[in-house]
Amino acid sequence: MKRSISALLALVLSFTLATLLSQTTGDSIYSESFPAVVCPPALSGLNSQISVASTKVQFQTLENRSTKTIPFRSLRYTVVKNSLVVSANGVTPVFWQSRSGSWAGGTTCSGPISSQWFVGGSSDVTTRGKLIVVNSGLSEAIVDIQAFSENGKQPLVSINLKAKSYSELSLDSFATGDKALTIHVVPRSGRINAFMIDELGAGLRALGGDYVNPVATASKTVVIPAVPNQLPKKGSKAGSPHTLRILTTSDVDSNFTLELMSSDGNFVPVGFNSQRILAGVVTELTLAPKISTGSFAVRIKSDEPIVAAISSSVTVNGRKDFVWSTSAPALVPMAIAITGLSPLMLFAADSVAVKIEVTFINGKKSLVSIKGSDVASWRVPNNVRSISILKSSPNTYAGALIASNNGYGYLPISPGSLLTRVEIPHSNIRVLNP
Amino acid sequence: MAAEAALNRHHVSAILVTHDGQTWLPETVASLASQTRAIDFIVAVDTGSIDASLKLLNSARIPIINAERECGFGQAVQLGFDSLAPRSADCTEWIWLIHDDSAPAPTALEFLIEAIQERPQVAMVGPKLLGWHDRTHLLEVGISIAGNGARWTGLEPYEYDQGQHDGIHDVLSVSTAGALIRRDIFEEIGGFDKNLALFRDDVDFGWRARVAGHSVIAATSAVVFHAQASATERRSVDVKGAFLQRPLLLDRRNAAYVLLANSTWWMIPWLSLQLLGSAMARSIGYLLAKLPGYAGDEILAVATLLIKPGEIFNARKDRKAKRFVSSRVVSTYIPPRWSQLRISSSRFFEAIRKRLLPEESQSSSTLLESNEDEDLLVPTKGSNWIKVLRKPEIAGFMILGLITLVSSRSRLGTLIGGALPASPGGSRDLWRSYFEAWHQVGMGSSHASPIWLAILAIFASLLFGKAWLLVTLLFLTAPLLMMWSMLVLLKKFTGNIWISIPASFIYALSPVAIASINSGRLATLVVLVIAPLIPLMLVNWKAIERHTWRRIFGLCLIGAVLYSFTLVAFVILLGLVISGLIGDYQNYSMQKNKLLFLERLYKRLTLLIAPLLLTAPYSFEALANPIKLLSEPGLSLAGGLPNVVILGNPGGDGALPWWLLSPLLLILITALFSSTKAKTIALYGIGFLSAALLASSLSTSTHGDSAPSRVWVGSFLVGATISSVVTGVIILDRLRSVLVSSNIHFRHILAATLLLVTGVYAVASVGWSISVGANSPVHSGGSTVIPAFLSAEKDTKTLVLREVNNLNSKTIQYYISRGKEVTLGEPDVAPSQNAQISAQAQALIDGSGISSSKTFADFGIKYVFAKAPFDANVIRTIDGLGGFTRASATSAGVVWRVGGVTGRVILVGDDGARKLLEAGEVGARATVEHPGRILLTESFNRSWQILQEGYRLERVKSDLGLPMFIAAQSGEISLIFDGTIRRAWISFELIAWVFLIILAAPAGRRKREIAERELA
Repeated sequence: MKRSISALLALVLSFTLATLLSQTTGDSIYSESFPAVVCPPALSGLNSQISVASTKVQFQTLENRSTKTIPFRSLRYTVVKNSLVVSANGVTPVFWQSRSGSWAGGTTCSGPISSQWFVGGSSDVTTRGKLIVVNSGLSEAIVDIQAFSENGKQPLVSINLKAKSYSELSLDSFATGDKALTIHVVPRSGRINAFMIDELGAGLRALGGDYVNPVATASKTVVIPAVPNQLPKKGSKAGSPHTLRILTTSDVDSNFTLELMSSDGNFVPVGFNSQRILAGVVTELTLAPKISTGSFAVRIKSDEPIVAAISSSVTVNGRKDFVWSTSAPALVPMAIAITGLSPLMLFAADSVAVKIEVTFINGKKSLVSIKGSDVASWRVPNNVRSISILKSSPNTYAGALIASNNGYGYLPISPGSLLTRVEIPHSNIRVLNP
Repeated sequence: MAAEAALNRHHVSAILVTHDGQTWLPETVASLASQTRAIDFIVAVDTGSIDASLKLLNSARIPIINAERECGFGQAVQLGFDSLAPRSADCTEWIWLIHDDSAPAPTALEFLIEAIQERPQVAMVGPKLLGWHDRTHLLEVGISIAGNGARWTGLEPYEYDQGQHDGIHDVLSVSTAGALIRRDIFEEIGGFDKNLALFRDDVDFGWRARVAGHSVIAATSAVVFHAQASATERRSVDVKGAFLQRPLLLDRRNAAYVLLANSTWWMIPWLSLQLLGSAMARSIGYLLAKLPGYAGDEILAVATLLIKPGEIFNARKDRKAKRFVSSRVVSTYIPPRWSQLRISSSRFFEAIRKRLLPEESQSSSTLLESNEDEDLLVPTKGSNWIKVLRKPEIAGFMILGLITLVSSRSRLGTLIGGALPASPGGSRDLWRSYFEAWHQVGMGSSHASPIWLAILAIFASLLFGKAWLLVTLLFLTAPLLMMWSMLVLLKKFTGNIWISIPASFIYALSPVAIASINSGRLATLVVLVIAPLIPLMLVNWKAIERHTWRRIFGLCLIGAVLYSFTLVAFVILLGLVISGLIGDYQNYSMQKNKLLFLERLYKRLTLLIAPLLLTAPYSFEALANPIKLLSEPGLSLAGGLPNVVILGNPGGDGALPWWLLSPLLLILITALFSSTKAKTIALYGIGFLSAALLASSLSTSTHGDSAPSRVWVGSFLVGATISSVVTGVIILDRLRSVLVSSNIHFRHILAATLLLVTGVYAVASVGWSISVGANSPVHSGGSTVIPAFLSAEKDTKTLVLREVNNLNSKTIQYYISRGKEVTLGEPDVAPSQNAQISAQAQALIDGSGISSSKTFADFGIKYVFAKAPFDANVIRTIDGLGGFTRASATSAGVVWRVGGVTGRVILVGDDGARKLLEAGEVGARATVEHPGRILLTESFNRSWQILQEGYRLERVKSDLGLPMFIAAQSGEISLIFDGTIRRAWISFELIAWVFLIILAAPAGRRKREIAERELA
């Protein structure tokens, strides 16, 4: 009996020891980093500035093949030429570009992505727009560009880009003569970013321009959180019209319903309820809401994945300009550098509750809470260098409208580069086992 | 009267040759005296007998001629022959040769003469020779000689004489014991060859008589009983020239002499080879039977003849002078080769059959008990298959076979998955893997191949080299083999097959058995099959001195097989030996029996250490890196947590879910409190389980996996499972009678609970195995990892990246491929992770690897391959890094070519310019066009050498730890990996295995040790 009890105790002891000493296995080790973001190149005739969160943020020009980077030494850096690769460390820089007396527009500098939809631009005679494809990688890249227009899907264009280079492609080359463009950029290989400038002109007369901000994927619910709505001047009957450009990316037609969200309330404008659009055909619909607010948001729900944007005509100092308001992803904690810009932030959600940390140029910080329903707006003070979204209500979308002397611009509030969590790989011969 | 007259036309002179034959001589003399046809003259030739032979002859009043003790049989006959009166022309004179150990039947001479009455061409006639003791044992009906020198009788061993060979047969020769030879022909041929003092003189004489145009017959109506005293070593062989007085040596030497002296010229080379080959083969056989003396005889016999070729030449010359017809006339009497093979193989298999399936003595009913009428009334019972199927053994195996077949439906083909790598093309590849000194795995390694590769290769050879078939068959038949081995063990504990069969069935469906099959654990499967047989061979573990050394060596061989597959067997045995020695010491402290203590110590240590030597150097490498002791063959695959292990389930991929509780723990704990033998066995079981638990808390990084994986404790749990099954059987076997004879109490409830849990487990495990379990990690399939174009380039290194599912998440893993998938044995010798490559692989993934391509090129990595599906972000990251050019992007994955000049052997000039040199798989020959450094992109090893114009180039270690050679001048170079050490180890292994097999093999008996009754 004594031996039996001893054996039993030994078993219990072994089990206890084994459980306590059991080494944790299978836990992977990760390396976390923000990929360097790429800003559009400074094209000739255009003024370009980059807003960064710190003077110590490092960058290098695209053509620089070494790994050496230098600090900006300024919170708003004027880009003279080429594209910049910025080690932004999680604070998304904003790129602001303008043609003096013609237009202005902004976009966020972003890390490489695998798919970009540009809903905007045209290929007709008025276009002076460009699609800029940047390869910030050290290897050659191949990029497929698929254009859609009101006449349907266009032939696929594939381009090769040398390491650390960019290419400017005229928008009129994608669907010559067509008015409504939507372009899908799909890198086959390489570290690719694309940017689209939609610039219009008739002869010597500039008709305005803007950056068309990309969206990564098509989805069944699209929210465009900030659409500028210039109210008619006193005595005028109607304000500036808006044009909704929409494309279903699936192979079948889809039906969508557009809901307009403004401080005047939410409603579905006439003709936007269960509107049918053809697959692969870019459809443009005029949107002329009779609302009293200077901005609004739209939420589009479709039975098939779609991409959409709204072009709004604006007048700046008596000159015509237009703004492309594109869809934005749901708000996530992030930071964006807006030195020198004083955007009007618009938040769209059924119930808006966003907590923002504002960092001023002098380094001071303050917290801002934004609450509301459907749409809420907040004007960022002038002397702010960056804002950080600390917390947000679910399914909240945000956009920024920026006004300048040269024109209006729009920015979707989304991180240019996400924290990339890469598992440190380990060697295992198992990978050679089918 | 006519017959009598005919008999009288012949004159018979008997020559009796004696040599220490007092044992048989009285009967011999008596038999000669009682012949129905009287002998006309008799003379005895005594060759220096030192026993009472002479006295016996004198008392029989037989005239004696005394000869030297070294006098051969032929010479003795000649002495007797010379003493005969001159030949008479009136009758035909014959000499009748009689050995002192042979006794002719009374009618022997009469029938011999009768046989030659109508056959004037006959020169020699012999009787049917029967055994001395067993007089139904047929020894000879004429003799011949086989091409390998064997004495050929054409009879089965111990053939019973029932007249099946009766008649008069033309033969090559007959034994001299009882041979009747025509006197004139004896004279004409020249008698027996003087070089054949003893043995084979009869065959030689018959052969010579045949080629002289005469006939030799065997007349079976004449019978002589022969003791074969010299051949069976019943007396010493003292003849002159009998080197070392060894009968076998003399027999073999004389056999070779007869063949070489009498055969045609063109047959001699072939015969020489055959004699040499068969001598070698027989030597090996004798060595295995631990009869080194006989083995030496075989070799010496041929050697003594070959060092004196003059004897052969003279003999051939002499025979040529007396030859009347071609030597080929005897060819009809020489047994064909196929019949030699047939009889040899038949004897071999019969010996095995007798050992494995000994004939059971059948109880014979007496005639009185039989009722003849009953035979008529009872219908004849034919082969009733249904009755056969109703037998528990048959039904149990069939049900298990059916379950196995259903649960293995996705494992019917080339198996792969889990811990099991792909099988190589054939047994040749397995042999190559085993023998090669340098393994082209990853950056290359010189680790010793495990011996299980050789074991698999041997068995794969039996399946026409199909290694995959062997693996598939092993996994398919493993449950049946497990059930069989457990059944064999359980029969020692219970005679009730209704207990032993279900228990064996449960063993084959135990958690460890199911998990091993499902997760491709080759070693645990082997342990599961072999382990139940070990307790049978090692019944007296405590009193180990009761086991013979031969048995200990036999167990060492089994231990070596287990060590070959997993050194967990060593760990287990180490524990058992230590506990055994502690017990021995305690016993010694009380009894003070030092001899007993030492004997036990030696036997236990032999059991522990001898298998280590047999598996060296693999086992030595494991001792140097003890964590390897817990590893098993194949890919590293994590085992289960202690909370699963305690239930007897090893866990990991393919194992039963934790909620499918086996009764193992319950039975062991119950048995601990039993009053039967089950308690002792349960203590062992608890020991195994505790060891399994402790081992399951460890993690190891071996077999090409740099990440730690929880130790698989399957082999430990085999011990616990066996203990549990055996204790369960012992308890149940005894419990029934106890329960029947007692009122309901806790034992009834406990028994019911045990049976219920066991029953539920059996049903649930079968259900799981044939449903969810069928989709096990091990499956049949022929997919590949590496794209064909990467495999096409010879020995190209490719860094393969792959996303692997790991505990509900995906992890990125990598390894260097040499253009092919990993095969059996390669994970066991895979090198450990290289720090530089590891750092650059990490940098490749996180995007910081600007210098990754350069480092990869330095290590000879030509391609990077991301196996689909793979994280698109990482692909873009690699795209963005410099030095990697996309080579392809297909559904198989994305391939990048690493920039820069890279390959296996690179010549680096003084200016840093790189040039690829011709590279073979391991060794290579190339031409160096200018002086420089030759970089070999393999792991550094001192055995790498480059020879240029017969000189070794200076070898240094590069900054990256690769071998680099300084070539001071241009010219041809030879790259070699010196495998001398590996070859030495293989030789050592071979010698050690042969040595131990000999020690473990049953010892053969010398002829003098065999009872006369067995011989004749």
